[in-house]
Amino acid sequence: MPDVSGSSDEEDEGLFSLDPEADGEARITGVVKGKHIVTPGELVTSDSTWMRGHGTYSVGTSTYSSVAGTITRVNKLLSVTPLRGRYVPEVGDHVIGRIIDVGTRSWHVDIGAKQAAVLMLGSVNLPGGVQRRKSESDELQMRVFLKEGDLLNAEVQAVFTDGAASLHTRSLSYGKLRNGYFFSIPSSLIIRSKIHTIELPGGVDLVMGVNGYLWLRKHTQQLGEQGVSITRLAEEAGWEIYSDENEYIAPSIRETIARYANAIKALEYGEVGVSEARVIAAYEASKEYKGVGDMVENDAKRRIAQQALVFIQ
Amino acid sequence: MSRPEIYSPEGLRIDGRRWNEVRHIKCAINTHPASSDGSSIIEQGNTKVMCNVVGPAEPTSSSGGGGAKSNTNSFANENKVTLSVKATVAPFSTIDRRKRSGNDSRIQEMCLTIQHIFEEAVMGHLQPRSQIVISLYILAQDGGMLQACINAASLALIDAGIPMYDYVCACTAGMHDTEVLLDLNRLEENDMPFLTMATLGATRKVSLMQLETRVGVDKLEPMMAAAMSGCHYLRQIMDAQVRKHGKNRLARVGA
Repeated sequence: MPDVSGSSDEEDEGLFSLDPEADGEARITGVVKGKHIVTPGELVTSDSTWMRGHGTYSVGTSTYSSVAGTITRVNKLLSVTPLRGRYVPEVGDHVIGRIIDVGTRSWHVDIGAKQAAVLMLGSVNLPGGVQRRKSESDELQMRVFLKEGDLLNAEVQAVFTDGAASLHTRSLSYGKLRNGYFFSIPSSLIIRSKIHTIELPGGVDLVMGVNGYLWLRKHTQQLGEQGVSITRLAEEAGWEIYSDENEYIAPSIRETIARYANAIKALEYGEVGVSEARVIAAYEASKEYKGVGDMVENDAKRRIAQQALVFIQ
Repeated sequence: MSRPEIYSPEGLRIDGRRWNEVRHIKCAINTHPASSDGSSIIEQGNTKVMCNVVGPAEPTSSSGGGGAKSNTNSFANENKVTLSVKATVAPFSTIDRRKRSGNDSRIQEMCLTIQHIFEEAVMGHLQPRSQIVISLYILAQDGGMLQACINAASLALIDAGIPMYDYVCACTAGMHDTEVLLDLNRLEENDMPFLTMATLGATRKVSLMQLETRVGVDKLEPMMAAAMSGCHYLRQIMDAQVRKHGKNRLARVGA
C-alpha cells in the first residue's frame, strides 16, 4: 500500500505534551493553548488524571478527541476547541439576531446557534422607561415592538442546559437595528474583545456580533450623547427605539458602508480573524480599488486580507 | 478485439493498477464556506462527490427545506440530533446524459444507509433539539458512489465541527475469479461481485457492509480484509487533508 506523504509532517510527529508533572508554566498562567491539531478519533492522553471537557470522549481511561481542533487546558480540564463550528452562546456575549417567531410573552431569535434564542417580553425596554410595568396590552401588541424579520442586537442573559440562549436588551446600546446593512461571517472568525460596537472612520458604526452577524450603519448619536441627563435616559427612550423608518443616508455614507462590508468579506475570504484594527486596515488597503464593486474579485480579496494580516489582532 | 481485460495475467487492471491499489484520491474541506457550516469535495478516480452540511441548527418543519418554522416542532427530538441526508445525482454524471427524477429508490436507500451510519458516528446526544442536514451532490460516477458519498459526508461533518467518535471511511473490494481487487471502477463493478465496507476510523469496527451480489462464502473474508485495509488507508489521506487545512487556518485566524 502506498505511503501517505501528508502524515509524515515533522511538526505533527511529537505528541502534545500532557505530562501533569511537566507543566510548570501551565500552572502559572492557568490556560495553555496547544497549537497542535488533533482530529476526531485521535488519542489525546491515556492518563486518567485529566478531566474531560468539550470536544473529547473517553474509552476506558483514555481520552480521545471528537472534533478537529486545538487542545485547550484549564488546570486539570482538557477540552478540544473546534476549528470551525456553529456559534456557542456564552453569558455576556453581544450578539445580533433576527426575529423568526413571535410567541406568547417571548420572541424567538435566530442568532446562528444550534437552537433559536428566546427574548422574553420582560427582558426588553419598552417605551416609557425601565420602571414601566408590562401589562396585558403589551402582550397583545408585541408585534408592534418587534416582528418577524426584525434585526436587533442583544446580550446573552443566560444559557439553558441544552445550549439554547436567553437574551436581553435592557440597555440603550441594545435594541432594534436600523440605518444600515446586515451580513454574516463565520463566528469562529470574530475575535472577542470588550467592545463590540465600533465607531469606524468615515462616519460608520460597526456592530460586531460575537455570533458572526454584523451590522454596518450610519453613525448616529446615541441617546447618551445628546445631552440628556443620565438619570433620565430611560425615560427619554420613547417609541423611536422601535422605529422601522430609516433616516436619510447620504450616497457617500452608503458607499463607505459597502466598502467596509466588502473589506470584511475579504477578510472572511482569507479566513483572517476580524478585529477592529484589522477592519480598519482592510478598509485602508481597499482604497487602492476605486470602485467598491472591484473588491468582489478574488484577487482583490486576497490582497486586502494579506495586508490586514499585518495586524496580529 | 473482445471485451477489455479486467485483470491481466501480469496482474494489471484496466486502468493499470495492481490488485491492492486504490484510485487516485483528491479531497478538500471547507470548499463552500458561505453556503454551509461544513463542506467537502472528494474525487476517487473519476467519481466525484460534493457534500454540504448545514447544522446543527433549529429544526425546520419540512426537514431541511425552507419551510415555515413553527413553535411546536414535531421534528425536534428532545434527546438527540435529527439527521437528514439528501442526495442529488447530476444529469451529467454518467456518459449518457439523462435527467434523473428526485425519488429514485436506489438513491433514497443510499441516503437512508448514510443516515444510519452517521447516526452512530455523530455524538448526537450533545445536540438535542437540533437538526443536521447533509446534502450530497454526485457530480461524476465511475463506480464506488456509496463509498465516495460516505467519505465526503465524513469530511464535511468534521469541517462543520460536529463531534464524532472518529472518521467514517468507506471502500469497495471485489472478487475476480480468485483474485481480490480493491476500489473498483465502474467497469469492474459491472463485471464482478463486490462489497462496500465502512469502518469507524482505523479500527476494526465496521459501521457498514453492503453486498448486493452473490459470492461464495469462502471468498468473503479476503474481500472484507482488503476493503478494511482500504478504509484505513483512506482515513490516513483524509486525516492528512484535515490537518493541512487546520494548520493553514490556525496560522491565519491568529488570536
